[in-house]
Amino acid sequence: MSIDFEQVSFAYDEHSLWRNSALEQISLHLETGVFAGIAGASGSGKSTLMQHFNGILKPTEGKLRVLDVTMQAGDKAPPLRELRRRVGLVFQFPEQQLFEDTVEKDICFGPLNFGCTPDEAKQRARRALSLVGLDDSFLPRNPFHLSGGQMRKVAIASVLAMEPDIIALDEPAATLDPQSRSELASMLSRLHREEGKTVLVVTHRMEEILPFADQWIVMEDGHKSFQGSVKELVQEAGRLQASGLAIPDCIRYWNEVAAHYGLEEEEPCLTAESLADRLAVLSDQVGNAVTPLPKEEAPLGLETSREGDG
Amino acid sequence: MSENGLAYELQRVSFAYHPDHPVLHEITLDIPSGSWVSLVGPNGCGKSTLAKLLGGLLAVNGGEIWVEGTRLDRDTVARLRPRIGMVFQNPDNQFIGATVEEDIAFGLEGRCLPREQMVERVKEYAEKMQIGHLLSKHPADLSGGQKQRVAVASILAMEPGIIIFDEASSMLDEKARGELLAILEEMQGSGNYTMVSITHDADEILASDRAIVLGGGSVVADLSPAELFEDGALLDSCRLIAPYRIRLKHAIRTRGLELPKELKLERG
Repeated sequence: MSIDFEQVSFAYDEHSLWRNSALEQISLHLETGVFAGIAGASGSGKSTLMQHFNGILKPTEGKLRVLDVTMQAGDKAPPLRELRRRVGLVFQFPEQQLFEDTVEKDICFGPLNFGCTPDEAKQRARRALSLVGLDDSFLPRNPFHLSGGQMRKVAIASVLAMEPDIIALDEPAATLDPQSRSELASMLSRLHREEGKTVLVVTHRMEEILPFADQWIVMEDGHKSFQGSVKELVQEAGRLQASGLAIPDCIRYWNEVAAHYGLEEEEPCLTAESLADRLAVLSDQVGNAVTPLPKEEAPLGLETSREGDG
Repeated sequence: MSENGLAYELQRVSFAYHPDHPVLHEITLDIPSGSWVSLVGPNGCGKSTLAKLLGGLLAVNGGEIWVEGTRLDRDTVARLRPRIGMVFQNPDNQFIGATVEEDIAFGLEGRCLPREQMVERVKEYAEKMQIGHLLSKHPADLSGGQKQRVAVASILAMEPGIIIFDEASSMLDEKARGELLAILEEMQGSGNYTMVSITHDADEILASDRAIVLGGGSVVADLSPAELFEDGALLDSCRLIAPYRIRLKHAIRTRGLELPKELKLERG
């Protein structure tokens, strides 16, 4: 089972004067069970690509296969109910997916519609809510009285409650606080590692997903400009810039350290802790490569961009 | 500007959407004109509510808000609102025009600006936000990041003295976020704006003058951004994470090492 795109193109308003081409000749192959990050500048086609995964959009050219469903441009749409259950999509503004008057009803809506008993659905709602870090006290609350971040977590929970095989998230964490974002990334990684879920995440904050993703796709102007492993992405970081993206600091620093000590062939260390550990090992090996601090440690100054800060 | 040089004075401001769920409790603080303040805190702590009170979109249940020396109430809100621009999380909720150009011009039309001046301003701020090439596009044809830049441009074009950014950069990609940050820094440098930004973005907070930390409906800390990012417990309480370069420095220092001088950790 896999996700395969063969020369897929997609245009909005295809038959009108406003035809707007969003994807051009995309071919890609993703095995199920991967954790893939999808990056790209604004307007590069990431969200359009995402909406092909469960048939919300169908290719205007080419063919794509998700699990056992094939969609081909020009053909009548195949039955998509099963695909919609197995591929959970979290949109860019997931709070717009909410509509019930309690959190519990909202999360139960999907499972009930796909044949769960009310008890089963409620059980799933509790589990999904705890996965996103909210406790049961939220169940009776009105989702529209929650804060933006909490609504977003509830919306993500409502997709998780469907227990999809593939979870595709379009910039799901944009307005969450950084620790919630990091917890969401860890939670997705757990679902990937422990339950074998396929996780596809469109993100503007690559740094948060880099420690977990095993595959990366980079989009540029409706084209796929890169697909490969994290190591390949790090080695070809220049491509990110060419695709209109900033190189994440964790990649920039690793590449500087790697070039300095000749570590280019190693698996990159992309968290602050793992890079510091690697530097500590280097300092033991090479002695003077990394300078131990003098005994009286100077206070750590924060570098900010402007003078006079702090 | 008010005589005491304050853009905002908040005196024991309280607010609740429902009596059972108080959101803000007796908040007292001053925001000097020309300063840039970051409002930080975990999801649900009342940041956006405070922003709406500051913008006159909600009325206080208790206490008083003074804007540039005038008390904000039913009688003054119409006069004070043009001084205050607001940019929200979701640009879709802010679109009015059928094209980007019309959208930026909408507020200016309301102000009855002469046409030539309006065209000039639309162009000026569109170019500042790097959307000059999108002026004839329908907002629905834009990506999320492009839409947010249109929303910011349409507020800037009104040239308000106070601008409230409610997670305005959260939908932008890293590069666009850097560009918006540069614009905010330039605006601050001009001294023409008082800025209040609700943000989780570490670089944005570090660039501002002051961080006000909300928790449980009150101000739990009011300090410089650099102090905030030195305080691990406070960072945890407002669920922030320091930028990678600062975390790496800490991680290296806690291992009793320091980076070789050739390697510099600076904002990208």
